Amino acid sequence: MAQYTQTFALLKANFKRDWIKLTVWLLVLAGLFVAVAAKFEGIYGNQQQLNTIAQTLRSPAMKALFGPLTHASISTAIIFATEMAVFWAIFMVIFNYSLAVGGSRAQEESGLTEMVLGGHPVGRLAPLSAAALELLIADGIFAVITGIGMTFANMPGSDSNGNWLFAVSLAAVGWTFGMISLIFSQLVADSHNVSIYNYVFFGLTYLVRMMTDVSNPDNTWWSPFGWIEKTDIYIKNNWLPVALFLILGIVAFGIAVALNVNRDIDAGIIQVRGGKRQSRFLQGPATLLFWNQRSISLFWIIGMAVLGASYGSVFNSIGKLVNDSPVIKEVLGSNGVQALEKNQVLSFVGILGIIFTVLAVIGGAMVINHLYTEERRGYLQLVNTTPHSRYYLLTTYVLYGVILAVVILYATLMTTMVVGNSTLAHSLSIRYYNRMFVAMLPVLILFMSTLVCFIGIMPKLRSIVWILLGGSFVISYFGRLMDLPNWAMKISPFYWFDKVPIHEINAEPVWWLLTIALVLMVIGFVGYRHRDLAQ
Amino acid sequence: MNHTLVLDVKGLKKSFGKFEALKDVNLTLHPGEVLGFIGPNGAGKSTTIRVILGLIKSSGGSAKVFGKDAWKESVTIHKDLAYVPGDVYLWPNLTGGQTIDLLLHMSGQTHTGRTDDLIKEFKLDTSKKNRTYSKGNRQKVALIAAFSTDVSLYVFDEPTSGLDPLNELIFQQKVKQLKESGKSVLLSSHILSEVEKMCDTIAIIREGKVIETGSLESMQHLTRNSVAVTTSEPLVKLQNMPGVYQLDFKNDQKTTAEFSVDSDQIGNVMAALSANKILQLKTTPPTLEDLFLRYYHSDNDQKVGE
Ligand SMILES: Nc1ncnc2c1ncn2[C@@H]1O[C@H](COP(=O)(O)OP(=O)(O)OP(=O)(O)O)[C@@H](O)[C@H]1O
Ligand SMILES: [Mg+2]
Repeated sequence: MAQYTQTFALLKANFKRDWIKLTVWLLVLAGLFVAVAAKFEGIYGNQQQLNTIAQTLRSPAMKALFGPLTHASISTAIIFATEMAVFWAIFMVIFNYSLAVGGSRAQEESGLTEMVLGGHPVGRLAPLSAAALELLIADGIFAVITGIGMTFANMPGSDSNGNWLFAVSLAAVGWTFGMISLIFSQLVADSHNVSIYNYVFFGLTYLVRMMTDVSNPDNTWWSPFGWIEKTDIYIKNNWLPVALFLILGIVAFGIAVALNVNRDIDAGIIQVRGGKRQSRFLQGPATLLFWNQRSISLFWIIGMAVLGASYGSVFNSIGKLVNDSPVIKEVLGSNGVQALEKNQVLSFVGILGIIFTVLAVIGGAMVINHLYTEERRGYLQLVNTTPHSRYYLLTTYVLYGVILAVVILYATLMTTMVVGNSTLAHSLSIRYYNRMFVAMLPVLILFMSTLVCFIGIMPKLRSIVWILLGGSFVISYFGRLMDLPNWAMKISPFYWFDKVPIHEINAEPVWWLLTIALVLMVIGFVGYRHRDLAQ
Repeated sequence: MNHTLVLDVKGLKKSFGKFEALKDVNLTLHPGEVLGFIGPNGAGKSTTIRVILGLIKSSGGSAKVFGKDAWKESVTIHKDLAYVPGDVYLWPNLTGGQTIDLLLHMSGQTHTGRTDDLIKEFKLDTSKKNRTYSKGNRQKVALIAAFSTDVSLYVFDEPTSGLDPLNELIFQQKVKQLKESGKSVLLSSHILSEVEKMCDTIAIIREGKVIETGSLESMQHLTRNSVAVTTSEPLVKLQNMPGVYQLDFKNDQKTTAEFSVDSDQIGNVMAALSANKILQLKTTPPTLEDLFLRYYHSDNDQKVGE
């Protein structure tokens, strides 16, 4: 037990450090969830509205995006559960990942863990346990707020068992993924790599869930992320997945502990190897950036191509009409059916375009963000005292980031097309994918420019870009299901191209989005040239 | 070109928000000179250097390097300058060797025989990843790159804070070689013996102001020598002689005394001592450390040289 000495003192310190982050996340995660629940009856109150949305949700495209709607009889609450479970679980995982990395590897990286363990009577396992407890408490608070809030929201068709199951299972999926992240924190020695391992693992479980949902939902049990769907909230209220999450989480924590006692501080289980003594390749900031980013860039492109391929692989089911009774077939004729099916796939491509763009922006923006990370960590003080101007430096990072994002986006769309067409009886022309691609470029550039603007003038506030990106995504992805008013939909830059690829691109928004982007970019560059560089 | 100052800082100011980190910094560095820059923690040494390097923008005054504005023409200036910071942070995934080559290439230099010699002398294992290096080893990486760079100005900000005495000695030799080949050096350091040994000129900064500049000798001249003396007759008249301070009699007869004396009064005092028949005399010029301590310990109540 001596190994755990002072766990609670560290826990208190963690809360002191993280309380703003925790408050914001919890307010948004639990608050928004409950708010949506409270508003839901207004959106899907009567039987006709329910039937319409149920039909939408039963389409394979929606199955791929949100998980299946299995039950025959439906209620407001059941629709809510189907729409929200997978979606909110993603946010819970992101939240817990960020807490777990911050409480384990990032803390060790900053030298804090060494100071605490070396100079104070603190057990070796105390930091790890404190991180695990912090997650447990944060998720616990989420469950309590959400459970109580859901009780008050009192949707038609909801019951208190289901309300609490929903709240607890979302907390449980987040916590479990957080515990798994603690294993990765033991494996590799820097937080950046831990995040990569985290999201690769999450991506795999997500893809398995998506593909099995479309093909055979029984197999979704193979993905821990898929368990969240197996709760059958408001239908059977199955608590088994919660038990599974807890068992997996505890096992994961046990593994993390076992690995932790067997490694040195500041080191990972995976050892760092030496390397070459000389380099002809590294000539300046550009080659250096390429060298440092090449593996992660490759990882992004391949990972996203796999994502595109997996979405493509379900295109034949996406194309199928939900209501393909002989009568309808007769009325529409075979051409009509085909056109309808094609439109269905095309609007799915439209949604995929948004998802891919958001991810591509994340991939590219992380490169540009790195400029500031390197500045703060002091790596750049040696670069900034060589004859390279700041404009050159920023241009290098911006070009690399934008090109990477564009390549990611196009590669993903192309693998979607190739795999998608292989499953479709009538292939979709590349024209549609190119149109989608071109429509997303101004949006992509706009987000990148916003980040550049922040890096140039207010680098401390650069995280606002993630909020803008996430907000736009939620509005566009979810807004229609949520029945958001039109003015709210217009806030998201994606809105302006939401008819693509079925319809042509509207040129007007392209120009003004690009103009805004250009202005932001110029402000960013001028700001960067004229601000003090951090120590 | 010859008579241009390498470094010309006049009335430099820098504020961070409301806090005035630099209030009045004046520095000059002539070609071929080694300028030592000393002062207590937080006095503004690194801040001054960062302005000189064009990393941060001054809030007033001027900073010129090679006669060019440090902020506006930083890129041109950096072509002929090498810098080693006190805390060296390096890209964790590169090896030391790759980092040295990268830094050289970035300054338009190449890996030469001199680079290999330096690696040998500093005994750096260049095949290791930067993330596994100790602080001293990271410092060596930056030092090796800087010393094998052929430029006219070298800026070091506490470059030896992580080095062991052996490597510090190598550092001192290398600076000497730079000086011999006509290079200019700006060296900020807390190791006063190092500064004393290597620098032609010393600038002392306190609370954002350079309060003293000059050669060690001229500073010693400005301040007091300490004297230990034994005479055959009592030294009572020392008690009210101008320029004598901290008089302390070591015996009851008052024939052995220790005191400090202003440099400009030393002639009169010596005459008085000889009149008492000197048996033993030891005078020591103040070391840089004495000077330093006097500047910071005695605070404002007793200005040196006044
Ligand atoms: N970016 C900044 N923002 C606010 N204050 C700063 C910043 N950089 C430096 N300072 C302050 O300016 C003062 C001078 O700092 P500086 O680093 O120049 O001191 P220094 O003489 O190099 O000290 P040391 O000997 O400890 O290295 C300090 O009080 C420091 O806290
Ligand atoms: Mg300093």
